Amino acid sequence: MSDQPSVRFKLNNSELWGGLIGLALGIFVIRSGLKLKLGTIHDPGSGFVLFYTGILMCVFAAAIIVASLTEGGPTFGTRWKDARWTKPVIVIVCLTVFAVALEWAGFLLSSITLVLLLMRLIDPVRWPLAVPISILVPTGMWWLLKHGLGILLPSGIFGIG
Amino acid sequence: MDTLLNVAHGFGVALAPINLLYCFIGVFIGTLVGVLPGIGPISAMSLLLPVTLSGTPESGIIMMAGIYYGSMYGGSTTSILVNIPGEAASVVTCLDGHQMAKQGRAGPALGISAFGSFIAGTFALVALMLVAPKLASVAIAFGPAEYFSLMVLGLVVLTFLTQGSMAKALLMACIGVVLGLIGLDSITAQPRLTFGRMELIDGIGLVPVVMGLFGVAEVLLNTEQVIKRDIINAKITHLLPSREDWKASAGPMGRGTILGFFLGILPGGGAVVASFASYALEKRLSKTPQRFGNGAIEGVAGPEAANNAAAGGAFIPLMTLGIPPNVVMALLLGAFVIHGLQPGPLMITQNPGLFWGIIASMYIGNLMLLVLNLPMIGMWVQLLKLPYNILFPLIILFTIIGVYCSSNNVFDVYVMIAFGVIGYFMRKLGYEPAPLVLAFVLGPMMENNLRKSLILSQGDLSTFVTRPISAVCLAFAVVLLVAPLLPALRRKREMVALDEGA
Repeated sequence: MSDQPSVRFKLNNSELWGGLIGLALGIFVIRSGLKLKLGTIHDPGSGFVLFYTGILMCVFAAAIIVASLTEGGPTFGTRWKDARWTKPVIVIVCLTVFAVALEWAGFLLSSITLVLLLMRLIDPVRWPLAVPISILVPTGMWWLLKHGLGILLPSGIFGIG
Repeated sequence: MDTLLNVAHGFGVALAPINLLYCFIGVFIGTLVGVLPGIGPISAMSLLLPVTLSGTPESGIIMMAGIYYGSMYGGSTTSILVNIPGEAASVVTCLDGHQMAKQGRAGPALGISAFGSFIAGTFALVALMLVAPKLASVAIAFGPAEYFSLMVLGLVVLTFLTQGSMAKALLMACIGVVLGLIGLDSITAQPRLTFGRMELIDGIGLVPVVMGLFGVAEVLLNTEQVIKRDIINAKITHLLPSREDWKASAGPMGRGTILGFFLGILPGGGAVVASFASYALEKRLSKTPQRFGNGAIEGVAGPEAANNAAAGGAFIPLMTLGIPPNVVMALLLGAFVIHGLQPGPLMITQNPGLFWGIIASMYIGNLMLLVLNLPMIGMWVQLLKLPYNILFPLIILFTIIGVYCSSNNVFDVYVMIAFGVIGYFMRKLGYEPAPLVLAFVLGPMMENNLRKSLILSQGDLSTFVTRPISAVCLAFAVVLLVAPLLPALRRKREMVALDEGA
């Protein structure tokens, strides 16, 4: 952390944003605790622990915000400096598409596509290797789960799987 | 005499063919994930948590435990041969282990690491066998106030030892508690933070959270960088250490074993801290500290013994108190709960077959590991050459399958993906996931014990400080919370603080 350039009163100070998100979450938890009823100290209600945990969250988030303003913190740019940031973005996009497609297309089709895409898009694996692996491994796993363990995976609208 | 009878009973359970098979699978997978950088025991255990459902509780827990202590063995192989720690507890082994390998002494480094691990692992088991029943009989007297304070202490110790800002670690722990409370309130049956979704009524599952935060997030982080590997290609010979090597290593091994065992018992402590503490101790005691970092065998023997002894010691709080001292043990607790078992003081008397069977299986597992890690070292070296661009997509696939199988619910796959993305950004912004996961597991138990103590004491908060064990735990927790404010103690914390989740 110390080797990263540090900024104080800048909007791209990543520490400041981390603290602000924590504070927002803390306030949300406090509100949720209040809605659920605190009860009394003799008989704590469902929101008792949530409420006090929310207060603690706000305290720790405030400490992070104060530290970011007084000691500074790295910018978002320096956090991702020298990193191939597009690669995790590609994986996240692939996973999101997979999540959406899973129930619709079924496990087999969506997982074969996911593995093939990941193999080609992270650090490209040669087609002659990527295609058989992405077909054989999900199919093998599906077969093992279905016939070995009796676990049914989503078959989608095509009923494959 | 009773102990011997119990051990014999345990061996009867552990030597059942199916349990031997699960034990072998566990230590094999443990060594595998230890050897492969980027996948730690936490990811592997969370991946295999659903598999434990298919067998008996004994088989499942034996396999999960095998993964944990197996990874401690395997991690050193990568540290020594590639200079990349296979898992966090082997970071320190890189310092001297890889230097030894570069000097053509990879064989003795691997040998002393395996023997040190075996000796320490065996000692930890004997100690576990002797200490656990006694502690369990004391723990029966624990009330909710003691349990609550012990859990608070465990969380505070873990946040104290977590890398980076303590405020961030504490914030993570609080978020973990909140996530753990999602679902029906166990006392009033009122839904909490469910946003009207039926899937959240039973709360968020441990498996998708852990797999997301440790499995998917780890892959996302690894794809960012080009992983370079400097594998020692020379043939590995002389795995049996020489008489001089044994002489130099005996002291560090003994000290590492005892230090590791006690650090393993402490809530929040664990194998990572133990290995670093042992290295620092050996360097301080050495007459030639300048050799450390340049291929000193003591720098391999001590930490390797310490991390294995700590892995054994960590079972004590879980088995006797039902409190997981670290994230790995929290996962093991998850495995117990999946089978409807609650580890704690009564488990030894109510489920002796399970308790002693697990202990006996660890003896057997340690022997299996010695065979797996010495004569079969060549196989692991070959595995180190497996390309990551093939490995990472497969890890993602296995995590998806693992999560789905744990609940037969697509919603859990969404939860895992969401936590994977959250975990990636958390790590990038310097927020460690380990306190979150431990708090997620401990949160509901903490709430339950807090509310019970308040009801029993009629709202008298002094119950937490008038009961001696509770008071000591809370006092220690307060000291650790205040410590980072003092510059000298803050520097010490930064020296030992580590990423438990790696």
